[in-house]
Amino acid sequence: MSVVRDGEGDQATMHVQSGVAAPKKAKAARTPDPTRFSPTDLGAWGFLLPFLAAYALFMLYPVGQALVMGFFDWDFLDITRRQWAGWDNYRRMFWGTEMTWSVDHLVVLRVIGLALLIPLARSWRKGSLPRASIATLAIMLVAIFGVILGIHPGEGGRWFDSQFWLSFGNTLLFVAMSTPAIVGTGLALALALNRPSRLTGLLRAMFFAPYVLSVAVMTLIWAFMLNPSLGLVGLVGDWFGATPINLLNSSTWAMSAIVLATLWWTVGFNLVLFLAGLQDIDVQQYEAASLDGANAWQKFRHVTVPGLRRTIRLVVVLQVIYSFQIFGQVFIMTRGGPDGATRVLIQHIFERGFRDFELGYASAMSVFLFIVIILVSVVQFMFLGGEEDEA
Amino acid sequence: MSSTTTTEVPRSDPAADLRARRVHLLRKHVPTGLLLLLAFIWLIPVWWMFSLSLTPNELLQLNTQILLPPQVTLDNFVSVIQVGLSGRWFLNSLIVASSTTLLTLIVSAMAGYAFARLKFPGKKILFPVVIAGLMVPQEVMFIPLFLIFEQFGLHNTHPGLFLPRVGIPLGVFIMTTFFAAIPREIEEAAEVDGASKWRIFRQIMLPMAGPALTALAIFTFVLTWNDYLWPLVSATEREMFTITTGLASLQGNFAQATELGALMARGVLASVPLLVMFVIFQRQLIRGISLGSGGK
Repeated sequence: MSVVRDGEGDQATMHVQSGVAAPKKAKAARTPDPTRFSPTDLGAWGFLLPFLAAYALFMLYPVGQALVMGFFDWDFLDITRRQWAGWDNYRRMFWGTEMTWSVDHLVVLRVIGLALLIPLARSWRKGSLPRASIATLAIMLVAIFGVILGIHPGEGGRWFDSQFWLSFGNTLLFVAMSTPAIVGTGLALALALNRPSRLTGLLRAMFFAPYVLSVAVMTLIWAFMLNPSLGLVGLVGDWFGATPINLLNSSTWAMSAIVLATLWWTVGFNLVLFLAGLQDIDVQQYEAASLDGANAWQKFRHVTVPGLRRTIRLVVVLQVIYSFQIFGQVFIMTRGGPDGATRVLIQHIFERGFRDFELGYASAMSVFLFIVIILVSVVQFMFLGGEEDEA
Repeated sequence: MSSTTTTEVPRSDPAADLRARRVHLLRKHVPTGLLLLLAFIWLIPVWWMFSLSLTPNELLQLNTQILLPPQVTLDNFVSVIQVGLSGRWFLNSLIVASSTTLLTLIVSAMAGYAFARLKFPGKKILFPVVIAGLMVPQEVMFIPLFLIFEQFGLHNTHPGLFLPRVGIPLGVFIMTTFFAAIPREIEEAAEVDGASKWRIFRQIMLPMAGPALTALAIFTFVLTWNDYLWPLVSATEREMFTITTGLASLQGNFAQATELGALMARGVLASVPLLVMFVIFQRQLIRGISLGSGGK
């Protein structure tokens, strides 16, 4: 700044200097002197204000408000019914009458959950993760799968809101089914497309295209595609002699059908991220591996997977977050049916909030969903990140 | 070329030579061919929607399991535009998506510049607070947002539909990353000339940000056009539906199967702007995804 005040006539030389000789000096001068920008930089708030206003009003405040409302009995229509409710909303979500604990309740799920302790123990021995985080995770696993999931209403008892558990369970089921399916397909397609060919760009665009369709268009297409007498899926089924059933009307198949439609719709997103990740892997590594006589699988295992680790983590974490937010597909295609087989948590939140106007209870459930998403994301970052350090 | 070489080579070899060539060609082209086939199959559902939308409704009563319209008509589109609210919904979506995109661009570019280049007290705290917003799903905020917009009487209005998305920090994240990667030397010259920050932003930084702004614009437009939950909650009057919520409201009702052609025409109407944009700006959209996801 001072240069300018010294003399306008020197500008031309300054241009040259700053371009050629100055960089070193400028770099040294920039870091230690925080006042250098200060006179004009008060204007920074001018640049920030429009966004910060929107961010505070439409993001920070609503999140805070959701936390607060979770502790209120907040009826939308009847203003007199807005009062402090303490933990009542959460009690209604998680509790019931005649509650008891038994070893064998949800036993398969709990054994699977507890089995996760084995890989944890292994990384404890190898020391590939900070031991404090391993211990935290282990305690969480034992608490959730060993203890909490064993709690259920005993004889003659019932959950206060069994629909909550049904829809949360379905959301988890969707996450568990869709994440490996969509991430795996995205990776497989990316590997297949990652070759020097003029068609790569075209193929990528073709697989990506359904992603730009809106959820209502996607459901329009698939609700009819899957219809046995109207859609093409029924036609293909005929060729193979399958009995035509409407997958969306079958409580066994409805969720799989939704996963399939969602895969078709969104796999392009993962494909794009994987392709970008693959292109960052140094070709020389593959050449070196070839020279060492590595076969295709070995190259995949020892060059591609380590090189993609960051991308894989990113894609998995994002996919899990998106999958937890499933709503539109099921709400439009099945309304949660048949018999609640595809009813997901956000549908439950939406209906409690905007059909029954119990906004406090609906907020409590959305806060619960948020906490679950954050916990799962953090755990994934720790887990998938730790292996990266090891590699 | 290949035929002449094979005829000149001695008798015993051509078979082996041909086989080797064939293996080579197969290795090279079969995977690409298979992928291309798969890609075409992948797009059949979209193709099917277009085909049905161009088929007369009477013919659809007989058979819908077709890949090509037996008889092409635009009647379905004409009826969709003349009857019902689809035209209105389309217009709503256009207004809402354009407004959101424009506001997001302005607001994000300014904030991104400030975070990338300006020094101000509190930046070290503020930036993480803003970026943390990327983690928050819409579903957590939509109930309080509903109450705020209720208070301002903004439900069933266009601002009610486009304002909430302006607060999403994705654009700020993209623009900050972009501006931070521009070499400082370019502005330093202007600083020496005594240009104000605002002028530097408008005359130097913004023109350079074209690619990032385009990517952000396309990405925002697509996401807003396809937004479902918020319009479902905020715009409850049929006239104020977006094409996405409007089209959704017509489904799940099997009486509609008798007007499948018109329904598919609505689906086409809802998709065409995005598909056109996608074909033109494919690279930018894909780049927007890589940028917005923290990939490269």
